[in-house]
Amino acid sequence: MATGFLTDTTVCIGCKACEVACKQWNQLPADGYEFTGDSYDNTKQLSGSTWRHVAFIENPKKRRLTGDVDLVALAEDVTEQLPGGAELDALGRWAFMSDVCKHCVEAPCQQACPTGSIIRNEFDNVYIQPDICNGCGYCVPACPYGVITQVPEDGRAFKCTLCYDRQRDGLEPACAKACPTNSIMFGDVEDLKELAEQRVAELHNKGYTQAYVYGTPEVGGTGGIGGNHSKFILMDEPETYNLPKHPFLPQEKFRGGVIASAVAATVLGAVVAWAFKD
Amino acid sequence: MSEEAVSGQQRNGRPKTSHHPETDPERKDKNYYGIPPIKHAHWTWQIPIYFWIGGLGAGAHMFSTVAQLLGHEDEALQRASRYTVLVTMILSPILLIWDLGRPERFLNMMRVLKLRSPMSVQSWSLLVFGNLAGLLAARQAAKDGLLGRDNVLARLAVRLIPDRLLSVLALPVGLNVGSNTGNLLSATSVPMWARNWLFMGPVFLASGLSTALSWLSLVLNLTRSGEAKTLRVLHRAERATILVEAVLIVASLARMGRWSKPLFSREVVPLFVGGTLIGAILAPFALLTGRESRGKSIIASLLALVGGLMFRFAMIRGGRISADDPEAYFTFASGESAPQPEDAV
Repeated sequence: MATGFLTDTTVCIGCKACEVACKQWNQLPADGYEFTGDSYDNTKQLSGSTWRHVAFIENPKKRRLTGDVDLVALAEDVTEQLPGGAELDALGRWAFMSDVCKHCVEAPCQQACPTGSIIRNEFDNVYIQPDICNGCGYCVPACPYGVITQVPEDGRAFKCTLCYDRQRDGLEPACAKACPTNSIMFGDVEDLKELAEQRVAELHNKGYTQAYVYGTPEVGGTGGIGGNHSKFILMDEPETYNLPKHPFLPQEKFRGGVIASAVAATVLGAVVAWAFKD
Repeated sequence: MSEEAVSGQQRNGRPKTSHHPETDPERKDKNYYGIPPIKHAHWTWQIPIYFWIGGLGAGAHMFSTVAQLLGHEDEALQRASRYTVLVTMILSPILLIWDLGRPERFLNMMRVLKLRSPMSVQSWSLLVFGNLAGLLAARQAAKDGLLGRDNVLARLAVRLIPDRLLSVLALPVGLNVGSNTGNLLSATSVPMWARNWLFMGPVFLASGLSTALSWLSLVLNLTRSGEAKTLRVLHRAERATILVEAVLIVASLARMGRWSKPLFSREVVPLFVGGTLIGAILAPFALLTGRESRGKSIIASLLALVGGLMFRFAMIRGGRISADDPEAYFTFASGESAPQPEDAV
């Protein structure tokens, strides 16, 4: 059975309980007191010591308020014409998204790893064996999502294990357990896929036609990665959440590069042999 | 508050910088507060230096093997080449292990052989090439009397190590050490490198051969050894290799397109234009054409060697800038430009 996450960003309230639960359970060190000045999110990104990261996306609307504004309607994002010439487009949207390792079906980090430290475990999750990783760091630029990162103090690369230890004991991962709105769902990938499609259909019925599933082969899984085991329900373009629209498998081109190099080597060999001609 | 201030419109014709990128109508690129969506490689100075000396070793072995196969017996050339390859193959693993986060676990590289992982292919190529180069250098040392004269070991080394066979066997592996440094970069998510997957290996190989030819002619010039013909051939091959390298660099820039911008950034432009285009290509080529002289040859060799090193630093630093630029990555991974499986080859 392949397990994975479904992160429904539409119900995320940005409490960051998943970040805290992940840090506590996996005994990850603090990242220091950094102040970004960009938003209330001071974690910034996923890293070797942050395996869940809640992004705070502020989308303020551009027009100002006019007329007699009904603040309740405004907050609920009611779009119909209001009496008194009030224009509703002011508060904008404050979106949250709990980011995590995508556990790619064809994981670039796993293919890049020269030691065989990165494997697929019995739950079909991408897992780094910490006793084998020698910190070459080649998986880091291979990851199309910027998830896997080397920890300088430790030397090795780390990322979300999908709580391998908890799964072995029949528990759900710490982040999913801690999530108060069930924005983070854990389970069988096939079940989650169905659930995601249902939820997107439900959102479409409510008028949120921009909702879609990210992490399926159709969206955000082309270029050889073959989809993700961590899927997301998003409401905006992937770039808004710092995700690529079409991630690709970097190793896909390695064979082509080797063939091109062999051709170049032959040409250069011929050039050197020509130079010997009197 | 005026309408203008709220909407972040232009003031006096100039765009007003806004705290919130999303409210600034001048900005088209969507991203998350400019935080890089991918992580750059941590590689420090050891890696570009390894790329440089690895390419040099591969090129030196290639030249001496071609000379051997064509029946050009120049003992000074073979000696210079064998010892050069040995030293580069001793330094390469040291630099690479130095760069590991856990250097004491370097042997884990030999745990598996993964043909899909350029890093694994590189490790194994280094192991094979390094050992063959070691045997060839041992034979050379025995011949040169460095292992003592009239001793059994030295005589056995000369007799038992098949010089020509090992040279030919080591050739493809050595060439792979040289070109794979480029392929290793292109098999990542970094736009500038990944976009250029077609020419990355060839350009590193050509540059490596150019530095190797320069090094060999520098050694022969400084020690005043080697036949006159060897130097003539070296210069001729060097001129041709520089031309091939120049064509490959132009092709790389064309292929990289808009993602080649980091090479012309303030930080990298001295390395790329000054060091590579002028230092490793234009200047040595100009010095090597026309009337040949020892002084000109030495200066050309030094320039090409330093230029080759700068080229590696330019590519690695440029890749770091490319990885840190959300706009570059998102435009690259937006569909049409990203390498797709249906791409030819």
